Amino acid sequence: MTLFWLSVGFGFVTASVLTISAVGLSLQFGITNYINFAYGDFMALGAYFTYVLNAEFFHLNVWVALVGGSLLMGILAVLLNQFLLSPFARRFNKTFYVMIVTFGLSLIILNVIYSIWGPDVRTYVMPLERVVHVGPFLLTRDQIIVMFVAIVMMLAIHLMLKTTRLGKSMRAMSDNTTLAMTSGIDTRRITTITWFLSGTMAGLAGSVLGITEGNLTPAAGELFLFVIFAAVIVGGVGSIYGAMAGAVLIGMATEVSAAFINPEYKLDVAFVILILTLLFRPSGLFARPGKG
Amino acid sequence: MTDPAMSLAGAEYALNCEDLTKSFQGVMAVTGATFDVPRGMITALIGPNGAGKTTVVNILSGMMRSDSGRMTVDGIDVTNWESFKIARLGLMRTFQLSRELGGLTVLENLLVAPQHQSGESLFNIFFRPGRTKREELANTERALEILNTYGLYELRDSRARELSGGQKKLLEIARGIMAAPKILLLDEPMAGVNPALIDRIGGYILDLKAQGMTILMVEHNLNVVEKICDHVIVLAEGRTLATGRLSELRANAEVVQAYLGEVINAGPTR
Amino acid sequence: MSAFWYYVFTLVFFLFDYFILAMGLNIQYGETGILNFAYIGFVAIGSYITGVTSLPSSAGTGQQYILGWGLPFPINLLLGGLAASALAVLVAFIALRRLRTDYLAVVLISLSLVLYDVINNYVPLFNGADGLYNVPEPLAGFFKLTTNSFIPFFAAVSGVVALILWWVMHRITNAPLGRTFRAIRDDDGVAAALGKGVFRYQLTSMIIGAFYAGVGGGLIIQFGGSFNPTAWLPGETFVVFAVIIVGGVGNNVGMLVGALLVETLLIHLPAFLPAIPGHPGLIEYVDTMVVGVLLMVMLWFRPQGVVPERIRRSPISLAKRSAPTIIDATVPPESVDTTAAAQEIA
Repeated sequence: MTLFWLSVGFGFVTASVLTISAVGLSLQFGITNYINFAYGDFMALGAYFTYVLNAEFFHLNVWVALVGGSLLMGILAVLLNQFLLSPFARRFNKTFYVMIVTFGLSLIILNVIYSIWGPDVRTYVMPLERVVHVGPFLLTRDQIIVMFVAIVMMLAIHLMLKTTRLGKSMRAMSDNTTLAMTSGIDTRRITTITWFLSGTMAGLAGSVLGITEGNLTPAAGELFLFVIFAAVIVGGVGSIYGAMAGAVLIGMATEVSAAFINPEYKLDVAFVILILTLLFRPSGLFARPGKG
Repeated sequence: MTDPAMSLAGAEYALNCEDLTKSFQGVMAVTGATFDVPRGMITALIGPNGAGKTTVVNILSGMMRSDSGRMTVDGIDVTNWESFKIARLGLMRTFQLSRELGGLTVLENLLVAPQHQSGESLFNIFFRPGRTKREELANTERALEILNTYGLYELRDSRARELSGGQKKLLEIARGIMAAPKILLLDEPMAGVNPALIDRIGGYILDLKAQGMTILMVEHNLNVVEKICDHVIVLAEGRTLATGRLSELRANAEVVQAYLGEVINAGPTR
Repeated sequence: MSAFWYYVFTLVFFLFDYFILAMGLNIQYGETGILNFAYIGFVAIGSYITGVTSLPSSAGTGQQYILGWGLPFPINLLLGGLAASALAVLVAFIALRRLRTDYLAVVLISLSLVLYDVINNYVPLFNGADGLYNVPEPLAGFFKLTTNSFIPFFAAVSGVVALILWWVMHRITNAPLGRTFRAIRDDDGVAAALGKGVFRYQLTSMIIGAFYAGVGGGLIIQFGGSFNPTAWLPGETFVVFAVIIVGGVGNNVGMLVGALLVETLLIHLPAFLPAIPGHPGLIEYVDTMVVGVLLMVMLWFRPQGVVPERIRRSPISLAKRSAPTIIDATVPPESVDTTAAAQEIA
């Protein structure tokens, strides 16, 4: 039974990482209506930016470096959208073109990381681990901080969407872009801001993944991508709260399953859940109409 | 309204529907469409904007599922059938905003239309090449004749996406004809079309009736309806309001009110 | 045989092999519009099955794998193709039937990642991360080939296979079947409204494309004698997309051109360059980046590719034309202003 509770504890940690990344993906998909297949690589690149700030040049505390690394990725995402993705999205009316471009971008970013940092495993410079008992869970201090970061982020996004004008504009655009445009919403500006948020969250998620896994590899983000997709789709495409719920569900399911099956395959459990969802409840838990 | 005893008979009616309803996210688009489309005649489906006409056509052709109600084609219950199955029974439709197969040539657009072509089966392609080729040639000849009739012969090898709006309209109809349907649903065939072309298309539609086809057309242009349609169905607020000849309907107070007396009494009668 | 000729024949092999792979993806994406982001997974299955059906039973080989039937070439190659087709059937029924483009792409790429993960980790299947090796050379005993003569021989064999597969694809794409695929690609709603059972055609397209993928993969393992996960990272699907898009989607000659430009020149040629000291693998990384950039450049400036899809002209014309044409004035019953009609059409 203790193994079970331990897994549940880890489930919260994975769910935290997943929530950050799933919300980032979901926000961007809601506004642009196409999937960014390079998202996993945004996560990896953000993690490496943090690495540079933490272990290569500036030697900042990892939590401070993480903020810097995430913001850098956010800025890069804006630039990529401005000069690459948005022009392609506007030029062709079928989304496959821009999706192939994101697929290509994924390959390019992955190889840039390989070229600069090589394929070897890297780690952040972190203060010594301290294990804490919280009820039946056994967690390190870092894992707790990660969960805290995720909760703060979820609250911040929730507040932004519900109370700020920006949030309302984003929700309007997500529902119906044309209507939003004709209602006077500056869709270009909102799109730019959304990419910034999406990139920042990707960078944050990637860095946090590097912290919880204890290491960084160039392909880590890519390999995690399908788990994020599972969270977004199971939660209900187009819904941010769905992404959060899906993240918790998938995060929990993958970790708890590791208590019962070979832990090497725990992530693949996410895929099984994705397929089952598609077979039996394709709109997910909280689907938004018009996005399914 | 239609004679209840006749409404489900099917035999005299090519197409019929009963109490169709459809809502989109809480908005009721169709609240109770019930009508019969008589065989071998041209029937118009008219009504003010927002009456649910295009939704009804989408449901009849199987592109949308109704929330409730029944429909039959040639007496066969096709409620909730997928569009390709309904098409195979002989019901074809055109689209209000022409949907040409852009990457294909005008000729290829027509050649896609016939059903159960030998050359669509892998087995036939490799083991019955003679038959496949003969059938293709016969289809091609027929397609070229149709293109010729519709004035599109010169454009036969042009990519469909390069055509002008009016040409695409003609292609849309020509493609429907090539499919040799028993029933043709035309969704606003005259929408956005040059007045001179309207008369020409009207003529083509009359030719089709002469060949035995049953036609149901959604149309706003009441002059056209008056000229070529035998029977009219009025839809308003998602339900059947009245049916009959246009002249009778002009005298029907409910119908007039639905149109707010504007369009229905406007324009010269011939 | 000198190193130079070794390089040349290897390049020739990969040219033929990627030509086959490109034709497979083309029928799925170029002709039918299915965004198969898991394509490399089908190639891998074909490769692995071709391998394990020709390898002897695994006991004593130091490897772990399923099957081990020891069958000769080309039977094992056909089995590889069929295995890939079988996977396509599964994928079609579970995913294709229910999902529109974006979600289908997501599920397919996820499938690709999961397949990779499982095969890489679950050793009893195909020997995990080490992969299969010592795969028997096809027809080697039959022709008494040496290691040296095998390479040009097999490059020729793959040329023959490519030629046969090209002929088959040519017949399919020029037949009404190919036209129906393209109709579905252009607008599947219209195709359905014309009575086409869209799913049935998509399934057919997937099966054919997967067979080509499987055969292409099978040829790889037969040429090199080994195959392991590093050969088929999910991103490799993108390279095949680059081949078809650069070459010219929807055109079989374009597939050959794309294979030449992308696969042979960009990917394999640089592999023969000497490594840069201190930066192992750098050439490979930059190479892949170049492919990515090339694709984006092509998509922007010439999306139809080097050899665009041909217009299929009418094979015959009407002998006599008695009915009205655009310029002619004779028209149907209603009186019509013919000059206006001519202006409208022109």
